[in-house]
Order: sequence, then structure tokens, then C-alpha cells
Amino acid sequence: METVAKRLYEGMFLVDSAQAAADWEGTLSVINNILQRADAEVVSMRKWQERKLAYDIDHKSRGTYILCYFNASGERIAGIEKDVLLSEKVMRVLILGTEKRPAEMIEADIKGEEVKAAEAEEATPEAAPAPAVEEAGEPEKADDETAAPAAEAVAPAAAESDAEETEKPAE
Amino acid sequence: MAPRQPQKGRRRRPGFAGARDQTQCRFCRGGIKYVDYKDIDTLQKLLTNRGKIYSRKRSGNCAGCQRKAKRAIKRARFMALLPYST
Repeated sequence: METVAKRLYEGMFLVDSAQAAADWEGTLSVINNILQRADAEVVSMRKWQERKLAYDIDHKSRGTYILCYFNASGERIAGIEKDVLLSEKVMRVLILGTEKRPAEMIEADIKGEEVKAAEAEEATPEAAPAPAVEEAGEPEKADDETAAPAAEAVAPAAAESDAEETEKPAE
Repeated sequence: MAPRQPQKGRRRRPGFAGARDQTQCRFCRGGIKYVDYKDIDTLQKLLTNRGKIYSRKRSGNCAGCQRKAKRAIKRARFMALLPYST
């Protein structure tokens, strides 16, 4: 009998913030159960960010993202996604293969070295977060309205089209 | 016929890199081979304030990086990290 080779996958699980804050261990165990059902070996699992969602999902506006690396066979990934659909606690999941990702990126993700920009911005006082590590990001983050790429690379003519777009009434 | 003289005038602003001066896109310049959907700050710069993806002409990306960025933006939208266009 052939054994299917397992590959390393990255999974991002989105759960409700209120529920995660109330029962963190329970939330992790739900995700662990889903992964175990697919015979996945969890390499790492950690909270990535807690942030406001870009749009409401199930009438919830805040979410906690849980980043997880696991070894699993490709055939079982669909099963994980189906389990998440049926689960009431997990709102979304995104599972990606890691073949194209650079190894150092994966290591940084596993160790949790990434800048938690959103947490630093929102600065929730109850968490009392450590000061955000300032990695070499691009310093020129201007106001969102005059969106930065114009300053970087683009001919002035393009600015006109941007102006046109902003002037359009909401449909 | 007299040979053409090089044009005078048209001084450039110091420190301003025009569209033709930058031969590489922002990702190629930084040596970034993988555009991560979790890198929201970078991806946000490629969106209008309505959430649409800038064209290549506007963002200055090369074709390959524009495709990578597009994929990353769509993944980020699915995970509610970035908005869908309104």
C-alpha cells in the first residue's frame, strides 16, 4: 500500500475575536480537531493578529487570525476546508502550499517575528503589547486617500485618472 | 543642414525619479520573489481608496509582479484583510 507524501501547508484560520478572547484554548482545540481529522501533523500554531475586518462576516466586525503550519497530504485539504465550512466557530480558512515561499519567510512566520502593525496601530491597552519591532519597511506611507504609488513610479497623467475615480458618486 | 543642437532647458527637479528613470518595479527593486497576502501595508499601496487594484501603468509593476500582487490581494480580500472594491 502506498503512503501519500505529506507536504507542508500554511493555514490561516479566522475566528471571532470575542469568542477567542473568552475561550482561547477551546478555539485552538477546535482547529486542532479539524486538523487531526485530516491526519495533519501540526508544526506550529500561533495567533497572528487580532484586527478589524475589512468587511463584516456573519455580522461580526472583528476577528482573530490564527496562523498554522502543518504537514498533510494534498487529498485531505479539501476535507479541512469542508470541516471549516461546517464549523460554527471558524469563519474562514485559507490553506496554501509552501513550495513557492522562501524558507526564511516560513521560519519567520513560525517563530512569529513579523511586525504586528495592526496591533501597534490599534494599541489595545488591555494587552499591553511590546513595542512594535520596526523592520525595514517603506517609510513613505502617506495618507490613504492620495494613495502612494503615484509618488513612486507613475507619470503625472495617471493622477488625473485617480482624481476622476474619486469624484465618481457612489453607486 | 546644420546638426541638431541638444535641447536646453527642461530641468529636472532634483531627487525626482521620473517614470522612465525607474527601470524596475518595486518588488524587483527590493528583490522580493514572493508577494505575501499577509503583507497588508504593501498591498494597500496597490489599491485605490475604493479598493480597486491599480493598473500596471499606475503602480509601475512588471507583468510578473503584477500577477503575484493580484493573487495576493485576492487572497487578502477573501480573508477580510483588504476590502473588495465598492
